Amino acid sequence: MEQNLLMPKLSPQMETGVLISQLKQEGDPIQKGEVVFEVETDKVVSEVESPRNGVLLRYLFEEGDRVPVGQTVAVIKAED
Amino acid sequence: MQPKPRWLKVPYDPQAVEQVAGLMRELNLNTVCREASCPNLGECYKKHTATFMILGRHCTRSCRFCNVETAEPQAVDPLEPLRLAQAVEQMGLRHVVITSVTRDDLPDGGAGHFAAAVEAVRRLNPSVSIEVLIPDFLGSAPALDQVIAARPDVFNHNVETVPSLYSRVRPEADYARSLGVLRYAKQQAPRLLVKTGIMVGLGETDSEVLALMDDCLAAGCDILTIGQYLQPSPRHVQQVEYVPLERFEQYRSAGMEKGFRYVASAPLVRSSYRAHEAYLAGGGCP
Repeated sequence: MEQNLLMPKLSPQMETGVLISQLKQEGDPIQKGEVVFEVETDKVVSEVESPRNGVLLRYLFEEGDRVPVGQTVAVIKAED
Repeated sequence: MQPKPRWLKVPYDPQAVEQVAGLMRELNLNTVCREASCPNLGECYKKHTATFMILGRHCTRSCRFCNVETAEPQAVDPLEPLRLAQAVEQMGLRHVVITSVTRDDLPDGGAGHFAAAVEAVRRLNPSVSIEVLIPDFLGSAPALDQVIAARPDVFNHNVETVPSLYSRVRPEADYARSLGVLRYAKQQAPRLLVKTGIMVGLGETDSEVLALMDDCLAAGCDILTIGQYLQPSPRHVQQVEYVPLERFEQYRSAGMEKGFRYVASAPLVRSSYRAHEAYLAGGGCP
């Protein structure tokens, strides 16, 4: 089953974040809790973890892209 | 400004965050974690802890470091204490921190509502330790009496920064008044654990921080937290530096030597970060 990893909303006013690092690449296996990508906000760098075991299918954005909150950054194929 | 240091990376588990965030929405509760965009939100929510923020989402002041919205204050909800108590029960919390926006518009500054929240939490969760992180109530003794009478386990009020920076960082507050709040609490309830917190990286000097420690100890403070100021937006007060890790450790060590029961000092430390650990380390009963 595919699962989307979204740009998180880290504060009420946050509208976008920058995707700064793709730590896992397309095709990589992922463990639950592993950091998939990093996003930067005004305050911090947030390490977004995978909620499930699976495989990283694809990124919808490149490193350096500014992504609106709630948009899908990456898609994983989760193990059932 | 230097680029973000490596240690400013924080975890974010979307599922764990949503669990806590979902409960808050369901019970119509606010957390300062979300409203102030605390960098530790991911970590704390994952551990199923959060710091509740009562008396609405809108603050009557606009401290220059804070991301909480300054706007028309919201109506006080008399049922909020009960919902807060229910959240504590559902989250299985052993230590709960209750903070608020500043409500200078209310005759008691919201002190009665604070007391009601403490009482409601304790009624439903008798073995939970309760920490209040209060505004200054404009230094009002009757307001402070109400909160103290509810018998929280930790009485926390942040002095936030050194006196020379107040006009830039916290223009609507007063350093002496905040020290007075801490002093009053300790005088009225000597066995109450009194706690305060500051941010660094705003241009303060070491000697100013050490002098602040002396002031807080003289006021009766038991626990001190020191964290790195992170500028929430370009509109907020300018961050001057990322304080090196070594200096945080020097502050911690100096504070312990001066006589605090416990000092938490690291970039991501916040006044209620790992509050239960600070409470236990500061001498609180498990």
